[in-house]
Amino acid sequence: MKILELKNISKSFGAIHALENVDLDINPGEALGLMGDNGAGKSTLVKIVAGNFSPTNGEIFVAGKKTSISNPLEARNHGIEIVYQDLKLCNNLTASANVFLGREINSGFGFFSRLKHTAMNDRAAELFGELQSETRPHDVVERMSGGQRQAVALARTRLSDPKIVLLDEPTAAISIRQVAGILARIKQLKETGHAVILVSHRMMDVFEVCDRVAVLRRGNKIADKPIANTNPEEVTGLITGALEKA
Amino acid sequence: MFSYNRLLFLIDHLIWGILVLVFVFFIFQSEYFLTERNISNILTAAAVLGVLVAGQTFVLISGNFDLSTESTLGLAALVGIWLIVPAGPTTFGGGIFMNPYLSIICSLSMGALIGYIIGCLITYGNMHNFIVTLAALLVIRGLMMAFTEGAPVSGFNNPSADVFYWLGHEKAFKLPGLGKISVAVLATGLVYIVCHLILKHHKFGRELYAIGGNRDAAEALGINVNRRIRQVYMLSGLLAALGGWMLAGRVVSIQSNLGETFIFTVFAGAVIGGVSLQGGRGTMLGALGGVLLLSTIDRGLNLMQVSVFWIKVIQGSVILVAMLIDAQRVRLKELSIIATSEKK
Ligand SMILES: Nc1ncnc2c1ncn2[C@@H]1O[C@H](COP(=O)(O)OP(=O)(O)OP(=O)(O)O)[C@@H](O)[C@H]1O
Ligand SMILES: [Mg+2]
Repeated sequence: MKILELKNISKSFGAIHALENVDLDINPGEALGLMGDNGAGKSTLVKIVAGNFSPTNGEIFVAGKKTSISNPLEARNHGIEIVYQDLKLCNNLTASANVFLGREINSGFGFFSRLKHTAMNDRAAELFGELQSETRPHDVVERMSGGQRQAVALARTRLSDPKIVLLDEPTAAISIRQVAGILARIKQLKETGHAVILVSHRMMDVFEVCDRVAVLRRGNKIADKPIANTNPEEVTGLITGALEKA
Repeated sequence: MFSYNRLLFLIDHLIWGILVLVFVFFIFQSEYFLTERNISNILTAAAVLGVLVAGQTFVLISGNFDLSTESTLGLAALVGIWLIVPAGPTTFGGGIFMNPYLSIICSLSMGALIGYIIGCLITYGNMHNFIVTLAALLVIRGLMMAFTEGAPVSGFNNPSADVFYWLGHEKAFKLPGLGKISVAVLATGLVYIVCHLILKHHKFGRELYAIGGNRDAAEALGINVNRRIRQVYMLSGLLAALGGWMLAGRVVSIQSNLGETFIFTVFAGAVIGGVSLQGGRGTMLGALGGVLLLSTIDRGLNLMQVSVFWIKVIQGSVILVAMLIDAQRVRLKELSIIATSEKK
C-alpha cells in the first residue's frame, strides 16, 4: 500500500500557480527524487505534505486514508518529518532547544508544566552522536558551521519514528564527506521501511540513492520514472525543457 | 587569553558590575545614601518600574514593542479608584461604590483586555506593532482625560481604597540593612520570580525566544505565533494594570497624566538590562538589574541635589551608553562568529 498519495494537488499564491494538478505517490522503503528548475514548485510541494501550506486544490492520502494536513503538528502526528531547505533554525537558541522546538519535553501540565532541560539535552546529544556530528546540545546555533546547522535540522526528524521523511536540498551547503553521510542515512532510512522524498539539484545524489525520480517544471509534473529506466541526460533534458515530456 | 565569547559574557552581565560601581559612588557622595530609609525608597521606586519592565521584556523578547503600557497603567489606576469613591468634589469618583476587591479585579482585567485588543489588532489586522501600540498610547490617554474631565480622582484617606494603599504604601516587614520592605517590593519580587520561571523553564517562554529569534521558523515548526503574540500583549497589559494598582496607592490623587512619559524609562530599563530591541534576547534577571540601576541613579542624584535638568541629561546619557553597549554586543557577536569559523 502507498504510504503517501497526492492527487491533483494545485497551489496558487495569488496569481502565481506554484503547482498545477500534481499527482505523486510513494511506497514504504522507497526513495523518490524530486527534481526541477528553481521555482518549479518542489519546496511548495513538500511544504504541503509537511502541513506548512494547505493546497488550493487536491487530496492527500496517508496510508490509504484521506487526510487533511492543516498544520505542521498534524503532519508530525501522521509520521511526517521534514528538513526544510532553509533549515528553519533559531539563531538565538541552543542546538538542543532548536531540535525540540515545538515539541519540548515537559513535566507537569499546562501552566504548571516545566521544561525538562536535562532530558532534552541528553536526547539531543544522543541524536547528534547517531548523526556522527560533533555538535553539542548547549552550543548556540548562531556560532555553528553549515554542517552543524544541518545536523540540528536533521536531528529533528529523528525525534519521532517517522514513516515519511522529506528532505529539501539537504546536501546543498555541506562538504563532500557530509554528503556521503547523508546519502548513507537515506539508504538506512529506506532499509528500515521509511519513505523518503529527496529534493535535490544534484543528479549524482539522486541517481545514487533514489528508486524513482519525478520532475517538476513550472508547477507541473512532467515525468515520474524508475531510476532504472532513465539516465542523467534524460532527466537534465526534462528539467531544462530540452525534452518536453517523458 | 583573549576570547570574544568571554567578552560577550562580560557584556551580558555588565549591568551588575555597573550597579555596584554606581552604588559605591553614591555612598561616597552622600551620607544618606546608605540609610535604610533610602534603600527602601530605591526599592519602592523600582517596584512600579519593575512590573512594567517585566511586561515589556516579554514583549521585546517576542520581537515586538508595547508603547502603550504607561497609558494602560494610568487608566487602570484611574478606573480602579473611580469605581469605589463617591462622585462630586474632592474625590470625583463614579459614585458606584464598588467593592474594592472587585474594582481591582475590574482594573486588572481591563489591563489584560486592552493588551488583548492590541494583540488582536496586530495579528488579525496585520498591522505593525509599533504603530498599533503608539495609537493605543494616545487613545487610552485621551480616554483618561475624557474620563476625569480635568478633575483628579482621589481615594486618599478613603477606607474603601485601603487595598490600593496596602499595595502601594504598606510596609510588609523590616529587613536589617534594607529598611522596611513594602508590599509593592514583595509583589514585584514575586512577579520577577514567576516571570523568570516562565521565560526560562516554561514552553511559553521558550516559544517567545523562538518567535523573536526567527519568527518564520517558529511558525513552520507549528508554534501558533499570532496566538502567542496576543498572549504576550495581554500579559503586558495585565502587568501595566498591576503597576497602576501600585501607583494608585502611592499618590494622593490620580491626575489624567499619571504615568505619562514613563514608557521611556521602561524601555531604558529593559535595554540597559540587556533585553534586545531586535527580539529573541534578554533575561528577567538582566531586566531587573536595569530597573535597579535606573532607580539607584535617580535616587542618588536626588540626594546629591543635582538639578532636575541634569538628572534628565544623565538619564538620557545612560540610555545612550546602554544602546552603545547593545550595538557593540551585536558587532562583537559577528566578530566572534567570524573568529570561530576561521578557527575551523
Ligand atoms: N510563500 C509564498 N508566497 C508567494 N509565492 C511563493 C511562496 N512560496 C513559493 N512561492 C512561489 O512559488 C513558486 C515555486 O516556489 P518553490 O519554492 O516551490 O520552488 P523550488 O522548486 O523549491 O525552487 P528552488 O529550487 O529555488 O528551491 C515560485 O514562483 C515562488 O516564487
Ligand atoms: Mg526549494
